[in-house]
Amino acid sequence: MARFAAGKAPFLRTTDHPSQGTRIIMRDFMIGLSPIILFAWYKNGIQVWLDGNNTFLEMLYPLIFILLGGFISMIMEGIFFYITDPQVRTLKALMPKLSSSFALIPGLLLAMVLPLYTPIWVLIFGCFVGTIVGKMLFGGFGHNIFNPALLGYVAVGFTLLGVINAAGGVFNQSEVLVDAYAGATPLSSLLVNRVIGYDQLVTPYGSLWNFFFGTIPGALAETSAFAILLAYAWFVYRKVIKWFTPVIYVGTVFVVSWVLGMVLGDGGLWFPTYSILTGGLFFGAVLMATEPVTSPKNPLGKVFNALFLGVLTVLFRYVGNFPEGVGTSIIVMNLFAMPLDRFTAIIRIDGLKKSSIIKLAILIVFIILIAVYAIVKANGMYTIGGSL
Amino acid sequence: MILQKAKGIRIDGRKAMSKELPLQEVLNPKFVYIHLLRQTETLKRLVEVGETVKIGQVIALREGWGPLPIHASVSGKVTAIKKVWHSSGKMVDAIEIENDMQNTMDDSVQKEQHPESLTKEQLVEKMKMAGLSGLGGAGFPTFVKYQSKLPIETVIINAVECEPYITSDYMMIHLYPEKLLKGLSYMMKAVGATKGVVAYKKYNQHIADDLQPFLHQYPMISLYPTEDVYPAGWEKYLVQQITKKTYASLPSEANTIVNNAQTAIFYTDMVEENIPLIRRGITITGEGIQKPQNFLVPIGTAVKDLIALCGGYTEGLDPSKAHYIAGGPMTGRAILIDDLIVNDTLGAVIVKPMPNNLPAVECMGCGKCADACPVYLTPTEIWHASERGDVEAVKKLKANKCIGCGLCSYVCPSRIEITDFVDKAKALLRKGV
Repeated sequence: MARFAAGKAPFLRTTDHPSQGTRIIMRDFMIGLSPIILFAWYKNGIQVWLDGNNTFLEMLYPLIFILLGGFISMIMEGIFFYITDPQVRTLKALMPKLSSSFALIPGLLLAMVLPLYTPIWVLIFGCFVGTIVGKMLFGGFGHNIFNPALLGYVAVGFTLLGVINAAGGVFNQSEVLVDAYAGATPLSSLLVNRVIGYDQLVTPYGSLWNFFFGTIPGALAETSAFAILLAYAWFVYRKVIKWFTPVIYVGTVFVVSWVLGMVLGDGGLWFPTYSILTGGLFFGAVLMATEPVTSPKNPLGKVFNALFLGVLTVLFRYVGNFPEGVGTSIIVMNLFAMPLDRFTAIIRIDGLKKSSIIKLAILIVFIILIAVYAIVKANGMYTIGGSL
Repeated sequence: MILQKAKGIRIDGRKAMSKELPLQEVLNPKFVYIHLLRQTETLKRLVEVGETVKIGQVIALREGWGPLPIHASVSGKVTAIKKVWHSSGKMVDAIEIENDMQNTMDDSVQKEQHPESLTKEQLVEKMKMAGLSGLGGAGFPTFVKYQSKLPIETVIINAVECEPYITSDYMMIHLYPEKLLKGLSYMMKAVGATKGVVAYKKYNQHIADDLQPFLHQYPMISLYPTEDVYPAGWEKYLVQQITKKTYASLPSEANTIVNNAQTAIFYTDMVEENIPLIRRGITITGEGIQKPQNFLVPIGTAVKDLIALCGGYTEGLDPSKAHYIAGGPMTGRAILIDDLIVNDTLGAVIVKPMPNNLPAVECMGCGKCADACPVYLTPTEIWHASERGDVEAVKKLKANKCIGCGLCSYVCPSRIEITDFVDKAKALLRKGV
């Protein structure tokens, strides 16, 4: 007679194969970030260097800055573990802990959405808010309510935007020299001037193709829809994220912005296209809104989460004093992820019954109301620009 | 629609290994042990130590809502009442019978002269007298299904065998294709059904090839190939696919009865020869078995004898790093001591080395479990609600709808025992309120 191991059914798991599992998902996530990071480096470092506008060291700076973000948040998490857990006070005990809590990612993502000239101490502050307040104090990886990187970003955005702008803001050494930009990013020029017109919003930056490829001023890594789409394709192929969340999110912003343009008197397709290619929407939709810990788990919940994100992004863009719509709306929806998950999970299991149809209708009406409110408010505050 | 369509996941079948060798009949083990337990019902013992018994003699009774007689599976002497391992993972009292190798049949085991002239009631009575219970795994007394008050139009034979590794149904059909169809036609007669369907997995085309030569004799019986997904053999999935109807708790609500393939095969013996349920087919397989194969054995046979016939465990197998699984790999149970005895619902024993486990990671909430769930549950929500002790939420999330297929744990990238957590939530429901 022999004694066998205990275990629980099922005795087959997808993770039996070494090519599956949470670690692999996180590895694939990092791989997916690389085209975005490389583009950020190219745009803010290499291209500027080729133009002859910065030194060799400054050429390396964007890459160093992004990696530094990851490094700082890893150090902070390490210190947190060291203080709170007497068991992990050696490097040997610390490293597996850090790798299974994916300590690198919040700081990395945070650095990617900050402007190039963010002072390092601001980055450290953002990493602290994101990693320590946003993640570790909630109980670590898997228990956080807010997306750590975004929480850090919003904290920096609300408190230290002036400091960043004083230090140079988003404009790299080449962009500063372009008179047409007039010190404004595409979205800030919309929000400051409150004029919707192709000549006002797009022409200074060339064409919408520049928006698509990302050669416009903006935070470090968020400008290139193209690089982010590459990452998106990789994520979907490797099943890192659900394919429909970014599509629905971006699609909702597109549709609502289009209607908004029409109501204001410019029904051209350029405006919704411009709307989705600015303000880091692609970055938020692909990398932040899909973050699994802080979004609903069931597919129906993910669909509604994305719809809400879409209308809230438009709302926050045009109404209120938030620095920008994408980050704020994702943070707001993080708060509602749990109740929304529960609500939709019940609809999902009940199937198409009267009670669940009513619940669905409530959600949809709510979403439409937000969109209508945003459009009505914007209608009073924004005007259509003529040709220059 | 995103809301409610039966679905499944393709899982590598690993069935080839146990199909290489033909099914072997091992009808005379030295000892058999008849468990005094069926489903959750403890049986009433009718024989004492020292008594001689014949094959087919009633030695115990199942009482309660599904009363059934339980029969001796070999002839010989009752030598002890002792505790042996049961596929439920517990030790259970059992009647030990020492085989006298005479194969003496009980007087009740006689050839039926005119099986085709039996009435509906007689056919159902035979199910009951033969102690027939579902051989698929649930062990539900078969006659109870046939006493349904609702009109039954279709009898479905579930030959899908959708769990990986297991091939006993297929090997039994391969040997007895005619008995399967005959058994199905008797079942249809027993309930007045006008349609019979044998459902099998698409890639198991050989089942269709085995049955095809006999099908022309049974015009009311057709074949139905299902998708090659798990859990395609789940009753509700089959009924939905075949009849386009769905039901809440029992297939009879959709005017359907579903029976396992082996149940039908043995039912033919019951009708024509009056042989009660004393045998079943079983797969002994897995990467930890030298020569995986199928056996037809008396109920009560010791699994270790069968493993010995398979050449034992593979060389160098470390039991402390391997699982000994009673049943299929998706829903079976790990047995700690390899001293299991075959009972009516045990269709397979799988011995397989454990994978090199990486330490489990926290749930990151990817939602793959909710995606995979064939009944559209959100397992993470159920898990959290039950951890909070929130019975009301568990109820609203319909944890009771879980069919225990194991897919949520199967797909979990963090190796979380999510199936087990949902099981706990279900237990909370049964206990609470």
